[in-house]
Amino acid sequence: MVGIELGDVQGLILRGYTMPVARYLGLSVRKSAGARAFLAALMDSDSAIAALTTAAPWPVKPDCCVSLGITFPGLAALGVPPASLASFPVEYREGAVQRAASVGDVGASAPERWLPWLADPALHLLVVLFAQCDDALDVATKHLEQAWFPGCVELGRQDGARLPGNFAHFGYRDNLSQPTIDGIPPSGLPDPLPPAPVGEFLLGYPSQFDQFSYPVPEPLELGINGSFAAFRVLEQDVDAFAEFVAQQAASTGMPAELIEAKLCGRWRNGTPLVLSPDTDTPNPPISPEAMNNFDYVGEYGDEQGYRCPIGSHIRRMNPRGQRVAGNGGQQHRIVRRGIAYGPPYDPAHPRDGQARGLLGLFIGASLRDQFEFLMTQWANDGTFAAGLGRTNDPLIGAQANGATSFSIPRPQGTVVLHGLSRFVTTRGGAYCFLPSISGIRYLAGLGSDR
Amino acid sequence: MAEQPSQPVQHPLTVVMKAKSPEDYAALRQAVEALQALPPDKNPITVAFNKIGTVHFGRFAFLGNDQLGVITTYDGDFDVYINEFIDNIGDVFNTLLAHVEDAPPLPVQTHRQEFLNYVHRVDCGCVEPFYSAYPEHTVLDILNVTRDGPS
Repeated sequence: MVGIELGDVQGLILRGYTMPVARYLGLSVRKSAGARAFLAALMDSDSAIAALTTAAPWPVKPDCCVSLGITFPGLAALGVPPASLASFPVEYREGAVQRAASVGDVGASAPERWLPWLADPALHLLVVLFAQCDDALDVATKHLEQAWFPGCVELGRQDGARLPGNFAHFGYRDNLSQPTIDGIPPSGLPDPLPPAPVGEFLLGYPSQFDQFSYPVPEPLELGINGSFAAFRVLEQDVDAFAEFVAQQAASTGMPAELIEAKLCGRWRNGTPLVLSPDTDTPNPPISPEAMNNFDYVGEYGDEQGYRCPIGSHIRRMNPRGQRVAGNGGQQHRIVRRGIAYGPPYDPAHPRDGQARGLLGLFIGASLRDQFEFLMTQWANDGTFAAGLGRTNDPLIGAQANGATSFSIPRPQGTVVLHGLSRFVTTRGGAYCFLPSISGIRYLAGLGSDR
Repeated sequence: MAEQPSQPVQHPLTVVMKAKSPEDYAALRQAVEALQALPPDKNPITVAFNKIGTVHFGRFAFLGNDQLGVITTYDGDFDVYINEFIDNIGDVFNTLLAHVEDAPPLPVQTHRQEFLNYVHRVDCGCVEPFYSAYPEHTVLDILNVTRDGPS
């Protein structure tokens, strides 16, 4: 087990805050010295602003947690020297806009149609707030605004708020599954998989690959204990999803609830299909702690996907022990920090014109081997697993409307749902470096001016 | 993605490596022949390919009197699965690369990007189009249908 100085790590990487409201603030550096002073203020526990939240245990849960992501242009704007900039991985250097097409952000999801602040090449800093209530969020924001100006200006913001019962807009219970990281208190429900090595999520430690640690950006004090995150604003077309499910229920004779469960891999209440394929209220019931304690193979015996379809959302995003191309089903895990935005969907009042979706941070030591791998290999292609062909994830995939199908294997014959549409549109994204506390201190101490 | 690509899911790899010297060539021959003489369940290459599940075909071929060819047909993107290949077959690469010109730094496990760059340099590619009799079927698809493939 590797020893980690939790006080040097941004808390968001290793723990979920389970706070009901959030705010993502996109800033641009206008004066590097002023921006660096803002970073220094984030490190100062005596400062009037809320200090950056670390992974160290809390004596008392704070009202508001603060995290900081920095884009590659942001590092340059802060004055990071060229040799150091060149040591960052290419996918981070190119950024979310340039790499958008490769992860399926095309058509309506292309950067040309993103929220302007997220497509802005001058997006430098992403300040992430999670808070216990709106008042705490607003107070923290006000203090931060006073601290970052005039060194930085705000380009845009997006607020999120947890839906009642911790459900997502499509109607499923969310935030049930997070990887367990070796030596770190778990931030999700237990699963039967081996813990992920720390180096899969923090730079500077052995990774999930043999004798390999991801290169630490230079200098060491900047890169070590850092991580990377893909921030995504994902708009969910709940009307289209509901209509698709209703149409398929009518044409197949399968109950709508079962179709929803087959698409996701869990019933709406979070009960995993592989543990309970016929009902969301099994008897005896599955305890809340056991809702993530499953695999698809071995003693769980669902290799053919008769209980949980191989192409379902959760099985694609986390194949667990299932056989997949490369045999890497457990080597592309990802930490997800997500919160809904927009008002709850009311099926009694559809097509209300309200934007709603998910604000997601997808965290790992390698954007290429984690977020981008999941999107390119498992979400937007099906050739990684037997029998899926060139299909996409039914919930988040980048399929053209009506273009692909979803198969529900059954012993008595497969049911195929045709005309699957794209239900999630990307409204923006950003690739961010999540530096350690030491890293932020290093950045704050840079001397050159722009 | 609005449309699926027209290319087969399989891709060719035609790597040609030149031995550093006649002695290295002899050592390469000995190493490869020793590997290939092993029973399949003891041959690290067979074991690795079975586990990875993306390689349709793979063979060694000695070319001229100083080159070793490694020729495979595999599913998906080689770059994407480079880590899995190295984890499962890295030691074989280390043994062979010790005898070839312009080899990447070794071991490959700790020099992954350099190894990937090397493979791209020595891959002869193919004159398009790459023909496949079953362009939409992966190794996993075929094993699933036949149910007699190695696990």
